[in-house]
Amino acid sequence: MVKKCLFTLLLLTTLFALVACAPDRPEEGKSENKDSGETNEKPDELTIWANDEEKHLEAVKSFAAKYEEKEGIKVNVVAKSMLDQLQELSLAGPEGKGPDLFLQPHDQIGNIVAQGLAEPLSLTEEEKSGYSKAAIDAVTYEYDGETNVYGAPAVIETYGIYYNTDIVKEAPKTIEDLQAILENYTDQSKDQYGFLMKPNDIYFAYPFFKNYGGYIFGGEPGEYDVTDIGLANEGAVKGGELFQSFFGKGKIPTSTTVDVVDGLFTEGKVGAVINGPWSIATYKEALGDKLKTAPFPDINGKPSSTFVGVKTWMVSYYSEHKDWAKDLALFITNEENLQEYFETAGELPPNTKALESIDDPIYEAFAEQIKSGVPMPSTPQMSQVWEPANNALQFIAEGEDVKPVLEEAVEQIKTKIEASGGTGQ
Amino acid sequence: MNGTADNHVSKNNHSPVIAMVLSILFAGLGQIYNRRFLKGVIFALVEVAFIVTMLDSINFGLWGLRTLGTIPGVDHSIRLLVLGVLSLIGIVILGSLYVFNVIDAKRQAQKIQTGWKPKKMRETIRDAYDTTFPYLMTFPGLILMIFVVIFPLLFSILLAFTNYDLYHSPPRNLVEWVGFDNFVNLVTVPIWQETFLSVFSWTIVWTVVSTTLQIAVGLFLALLVNDPRVKFKKLIRTILILPWAVPAFITILIFSAMFNDEFGAINRDIIIPLFGGEGIPWLSDPFYAKIAIIMIQTWLGFPFIFALFTGVLQSISKDWYEAADVDGGTRFQKFRHITLPHVLFATAPLLIMQYAQNFNNFNVIYLFNEGNPPIRGQNAGGTDILISWVYKLTFDTNNYSMAAVVSIIMGVIVSAFAFYQFRQTKSFKEEGEI
Repeated sequence: MVKKCLFTLLLLTTLFALVACAPDRPEEGKSENKDSGETNEKPDELTIWANDEEKHLEAVKSFAAKYEEKEGIKVNVVAKSMLDQLQELSLAGPEGKGPDLFLQPHDQIGNIVAQGLAEPLSLTEEEKSGYSKAAIDAVTYEYDGETNVYGAPAVIETYGIYYNTDIVKEAPKTIEDLQAILENYTDQSKDQYGFLMKPNDIYFAYPFFKNYGGYIFGGEPGEYDVTDIGLANEGAVKGGELFQSFFGKGKIPTSTTVDVVDGLFTEGKVGAVINGPWSIATYKEALGDKLKTAPFPDINGKPSSTFVGVKTWMVSYYSEHKDWAKDLALFITNEENLQEYFETAGELPPNTKALESIDDPIYEAFAEQIKSGVPMPSTPQMSQVWEPANNALQFIAEGEDVKPVLEEAVEQIKTKIEASGGTGQ
Repeated sequence: MNGTADNHVSKNNHSPVIAMVLSILFAGLGQIYNRRFLKGVIFALVEVAFIVTMLDSINFGLWGLRTLGTIPGVDHSIRLLVLGVLSLIGIVILGSLYVFNVIDAKRQAQKIQTGWKPKKMRETIRDAYDTTFPYLMTFPGLILMIFVVIFPLLFSILLAFTNYDLYHSPPRNLVEWVGFDNFVNLVTVPIWQETFLSVFSWTIVWTVVSTTLQIAVGLFLALLVNDPRVKFKKLIRTILILPWAVPAFITILIFSAMFNDEFGAINRDIIIPLFGGEGIPWLSDPFYAKIAIIMIQTWLGFPFIFALFTGVLQSISKDWYEAADVDGGTRFQKFRHITLPHVLFATAPLLIMQYAQNFNNFNVIYLFNEGNPPIRGQNAGGTDILISWVYKLTFDTNNYSMAAVVSIIMGVIVSAFAFYQFRQTKSFKEEGEI
């Protein structure tokens, strides 16, 4: 037995040491210029991965058909959940089974670029001009000292106020209005609340900090300085104190969850909530004409800087027809198609003209809010921010001292970024 | 033997050593020397086929495994790692075939030397079929095992020795071997160390307390229901089995809503009316969250134990108890010396597996509160156990190599449970060993 083991071991090590020499690869492997190998010849077909949501697919398929008519290139639309796309792309891409175009939220860009899964688009000024500035900001990203646009924006979204006209007669203009609604109408014993929000979510609570001068990462959108975290500066503390004043006895309970917010609001027991356009259908069904929307109330005398999210079409690194893939992405997101997309799928277009032409009163508020929004940071280090920041908000809502809690959160974000290996760039 | 028949004597100079050496030189040569031509040719063909078709890819696989690629953007480290593991598996399979070939040549040569006369072709085939039938039948299962169990296992073990995280991800970047760095970091770098220790100790507490509690409750209820004075046994049993019948994730989500500090029924309709005050912070205080989650697991787990024990209790012969009555044994003595040894003896392996199961009980932790509430200064939540922490490491922070390290630690612990179970319980011993 021992002999046999030894023998196998010996065999393995010799194989490992002697046989495992570098394979013969084409010498140009190192210097190979990806573009030179490609021609701009028209491909027979392109593959795109669309989200597996029904309305969305319907719209994308219609664009694909139009593109085929226009250019004579067959477009295969594959339904693939947006959440699974990245992982599958990194597996299927090298095998040549990946798509030419895929759809991702812009805050994944840092992640995608770090793995090198997407190709920069190099849009001309003219090609950029159709999209709103917030959308282009969101898909711009700096890697290794080079700033590039990494996608063609397809959807833009942010959050605002939904209110029930039975309870709130007039939309709250400022955060003080909202506070008054909260204090006047809340009666915990009857499960009645003037205003409800989940405490531990920096996504929704960001304007409280941003409007007083707090920020997550320093630098410009897309060119973030991840060593500069502004969540515990003077402004952030002020914002945190304002945030704290919304929670506690007779106000918003600290254990509020999304289910509680949605449940009570659709029962008609809550005056106002914060949410994005993705909840329109649910709320509308429950409240009907009583439902109205408004931009996020002003904080510190300024329009609130809510987080803007952009879903964007990206060209795969593994695509063999990158120029045509880019052409298709621009086609899908032109003004006419984005307008059609809004009508079919009910998601806001990042095209300036298409956005302005919306006259549905429910959507208008969001279109308005987008103007003062800031893109969610797209660096991969952002994934280390959510948990500590959300936890800090929970502690603040529970009444702990704002300053030490925020300082601790920043400290924790820094160590987490370090532990994840993210300080390198 | 010598000299019984002249054609046997002539084979005395047939040397096993030559057969072995020939077989080592090239598969099948030894068999041909033994005059087993067909077998020899088949072995030789297999080796030729291997050299022609697979040598290159195995070489590439081993090279990839050693270097994990050298040119970023061209070499895909994770793919190379996968190919490398496959090559290793291939080498082991081929290596054992080769070893078999050598041993076979030697054995046969020895037999020929002692005067054994090769059988006819048909007999050989029939013999081979008879002896190898069980192996033939299990062969597909073995192949499946290799690719479904062994291959991913090797892959994830190897990952723990790399620096695979978001910033070292193909195709843009290469993954590198880092040896035991990850393991060392886990116990020395403060942020990992503190979290690991607190998560690990809570995992142990959780496993021991929740499983023991569910076994105790199950046993207690089984004893009660089994008492001859209890009427409507069937109905009571059905009711007690119900928590098992409802899908666990539904139960957990409902409990999670019921335990909500402000809106949940437990505080609102039980604690506050009965005891007054503010209610108990079930979801926001780590201590109470732990209590709540242990209670939920007890609720989910006891019906299985209850059903198990009920079955065993009915199989204990009444004679034992009658004998005890004659000797004047008390109720407790009867339980301690008759009932308990009986049920534990019969169910021990299953009970041990209950512990192993709870050790990795991801569902209840994640669905109840996602491992929350948060704890200041720690990068896992108050109720996070190792498995839910690994989930967060992998999916929230893309730190694959660290997740692999923690998975290995978990694997070792669960295997220890399993090993103990196999050693200590008689149920798994082979026939005749008892």
